[in-house]
Amino acid sequence: MRDRGLPFVLMAPAFLIVLATTLYPLSYSLITSFREWRLTRQRRPGDFVGIDNYTGAFTNHEFLSSLWVTTVFVTISVVATVVLAMALALLLRRTGRLHTFVRIILILPFAMSPALIGVSFRFMFNPEFGVLAQGLGAIFPFLKGVAWLADPRFAMGILIVTDVWHWVPYMTFMCLGGLTAVPRETEEAARIDGASGFRILWEIILPQMRGVLVVVAILKTIFALKMFDQVVTLTGGGPGASTETLAYFVFKVGFHWFDMGQASAMAWILTAIMMVISIWYVRLLMSERKLVTA
Amino acid sequence: MKKQLFWWGERALLVFVAVVALFPILWMFLTAFKQPLDAYRVSIFFTPTFNNFKAVFDEPWYLGRMVMNSVIVASVTVMISVPCASLAAYAFSRFRMRGRKFLFFLVLSTQFIPAVVIVLPFFLMFRQLGLLDTRLALIIVNLAIVTPFVIWMIKGFIDAIPVEAEEAAMVDGASRLRVIRDIVLPMAAPGILTSSIFCFILTWNEFLFALIITRREAVTLPVGLVNFRTERGDLWELMSAAGVMITVPIFIMAIIIQKHFTRGMTAGAVK
Amino acid sequence: MAEVRLENVVKRYGGFTALPKLDLHVNEGEFLVLLGPSGCGKTTTMRLIAGLEEITEGDLLIGGERVNDKEPKDRDIAMVFQNYGLYPHMSVADNIGYPLKLRGLGKSERMAQVRKVAEKVELGELLDRRPSELSGGQRQRVALARAIVRRPQLFLMDEPLSNLDAKLRVTMRAELKHMHHEMGITTVYVTHDQMEAMTLASRIVVMNKGRIVQLDTPERIYSEPADLFVADFIGSPSMNLIHGQIAGGTFTAEGISLPVSAPDRAKVVLGIRPEDLQISDASTAPIKAPIFALELTGESTLVTLRAGATQLCARGAADFRAKMDDTCGLAPRPGGRIHLFDPESGLRLPS
Repeated sequence: MRDRGLPFVLMAPAFLIVLATTLYPLSYSLITSFREWRLTRQRRPGDFVGIDNYTGAFTNHEFLSSLWVTTVFVTISVVATVVLAMALALLLRRTGRLHTFVRIILILPFAMSPALIGVSFRFMFNPEFGVLAQGLGAIFPFLKGVAWLADPRFAMGILIVTDVWHWVPYMTFMCLGGLTAVPRETEEAARIDGASGFRILWEIILPQMRGVLVVVAILKTIFALKMFDQVVTLTGGGPGASTETLAYFVFKVGFHWFDMGQASAMAWILTAIMMVISIWYVRLLMSERKLVTA
Repeated sequence: MKKQLFWWGERALLVFVAVVALFPILWMFLTAFKQPLDAYRVSIFFTPTFNNFKAVFDEPWYLGRMVMNSVIVASVTVMISVPCASLAAYAFSRFRMRGRKFLFFLVLSTQFIPAVVIVLPFFLMFRQLGLLDTRLALIIVNLAIVTPFVIWMIKGFIDAIPVEAEEAAMVDGASRLRVIRDIVLPMAAPGILTSSIFCFILTWNEFLFALIITRREAVTLPVGLVNFRTERGDLWELMSAAGVMITVPIFIMAIIIQKHFTRGMTAGAVK
Repeated sequence: MAEVRLENVVKRYGGFTALPKLDLHVNEGEFLVLLGPSGCGKTTTMRLIAGLEEITEGDLLIGGERVNDKEPKDRDIAMVFQNYGLYPHMSVADNIGYPLKLRGLGKSERMAQVRKVAEKVELGELLDRRPSELSGGQRQRVALARAIVRRPQLFLMDEPLSNLDAKLRVTMRAELKHMHHEMGITTVYVTHDQMEAMTLASRIVVMNKGRIVQLDTPERIYSEPADLFVADFIGSPSMNLIHGQIAGGTFTAEGISLPVSAPDRAKVVLGIRPEDLQISDASTAPIKAPIFALELTGESTLVTLRAGATQLCARGAADFRAKMDDTCGLAPRPGGRIHLFDPESGLRLPS
């Protein structure tokens, strides 16, 4: 269409915001990541130290441990979310009053503040008066008296549970959107051809859902890498450093130890990881439009 | 026979899902109405009390101030980002200008920058400017997360509006800006409202920035929760009462727009 | 009222050329139909005239004035869209009145005009409804009313009837024709339906692959198609096209030997419309072949023969009866037209 200048005028305010609030701080922290700057000792940024902060990160075993914690957390939470979301979408696909009710209910966990989710799960898993700790102990005797959040493995498990509980609804809606794009006819044709329910799912529905599932998995990976709130309010990174994810560790370096240079470098390592995944994702969105229509 | 079994199985599963989704929320609501003693027991039967709600607004918690902070920060963020994002979204959706793909790519990718990267320089900057612990600082950083997301979401809604009505208006004699005012805005209104509520929820629930940038004056509700961890231990019944204050407004908004909500949640992401 | 001229108009989208070079002159007051298969460039041409797309090269003149750089709003045109392009958030009255509102007319005057137009298209009762509460035919009327509420220089209609059911389409067609007669406003009309084109047009532009293949009156387009494309596209059922050769004044192909008055040619395509063929005695007929299909349409029977690789269709009497696979004879009707085309270029051969 004509009026060539107009689109840029329309975009200008939003771009000003985006530039000022993301690109500027991004470049600032990139520069900081090459400097020595401990807020406890100096008010102004110190000397440039080359890539010391980056090499420092990779020789810091707490950082490496947080990388490992993040990997475990992201992997399990992504797999669990995708599988559950797809299963729920299949369950909720049909129309019915109970189906609609559950769909509305599902909005609530997503709308709930993640910090609050952390708090409320901490309460429910309190070994003395937590309702889930007590309930699980009553049903499974071997779980009686477990000090849930004081045990590294259980703490990680609960952290994952809160994250999955929070994100499965959103991802279910995405899968439901994808399912509406799967034409009913293909399924009906398969049924007439004599395929069983399981084979229809495996050979007809899931292949057509491939695009959506890839999107769901990538998005969830990004969200899981960003996850921070529940670490603070649920485990505080503990016990020990067993639930210190990368995002949390960067926060700790920056705002407990006040080592800005080191924190910036670590933040940029996290950014690099996320950028690779997001570029992959955006590419997919823009190029394979047909694959991911929903 | 088999069919009936399936029918009941499906129903049972649905109920189970509803219970899992609701239980943590219900438990929090119950606890908010318990006496401290009941809160420390796993009990369903108890004499309800409103004392907790009274207590959190009193000394030393002053939840009222945090409610104000949250309301102001979230509303102002919405009022700035949604109008700007709507215009940009319209441009992205309707014009095929040079560099469009690249610019949109830029917007999309900023969404995936981890917040910790942005918050470090902001913290340093605000410290320099003396803006730490102010609402203004919170609004600025919240714009960073919310704006790209809202552009993305509103674009999804505008894409779904047929172009023909706009073209008809142009032929009928409307200028481009008139078309936006008379045709696009009214038609996109449900989408823009949905995006606004989304944006409000994101800002309302925001934790990381508020935790780092605020101390006393500008503390928002989610950060305020942390205050209930005292030397005397966690005050669960007060925490739950505060939790109810955080969730109720959000839940009401979410349910009001629930029809658009699910569409809006997925519009940007999948298409 | 105005004439429209497109001079050496080129339209490119990036690397794709939609219209390589278009020259077109729409006379004042005429009803010009752009006809062609989808993707032939007819809609693009119309959108260029409307100003909804930018012209890459060349000139567009409306009423003698060059309007390439004018906004659609300044071109004084009205357009009816395929999906009507109604404003879903406005009532029928507001939809129709919007062009007047944009021109600064007061509310009372606007409503008076809206009511007058609404009466004319029989929408008087529905003025308070929303478009979503109307049937397809009613929506179509709203779109029309919105176009005629002010008297523009030029009407543009982009397949306005294609979303209506068959019966309604015939009624609306007649109404459109009557309206044009009454108002006399220059109209450009896009369609892929040859029936619509034949019935409405004062002249038809047949387009294919971005080029004008033939521009002529409906009668001449039907009786003297300029090439194989037009011959095949116009008429229902379409013209029989038979590949063969001419020697000594006789056209021959498998099962066919037909006298023609044309010079010898090794390769030629002979065209004859089904309605120019009649059923005749199998022993003496110039065309003899087994019956492939018989279709009763009501007022006639369509007889399809299979002669070698080609199928030949003829329109026979409604009471014609025969068995499938029986051999049947066909002969040109007296006064029926025979068309000859060059198979290489596709062009019509002078006869």
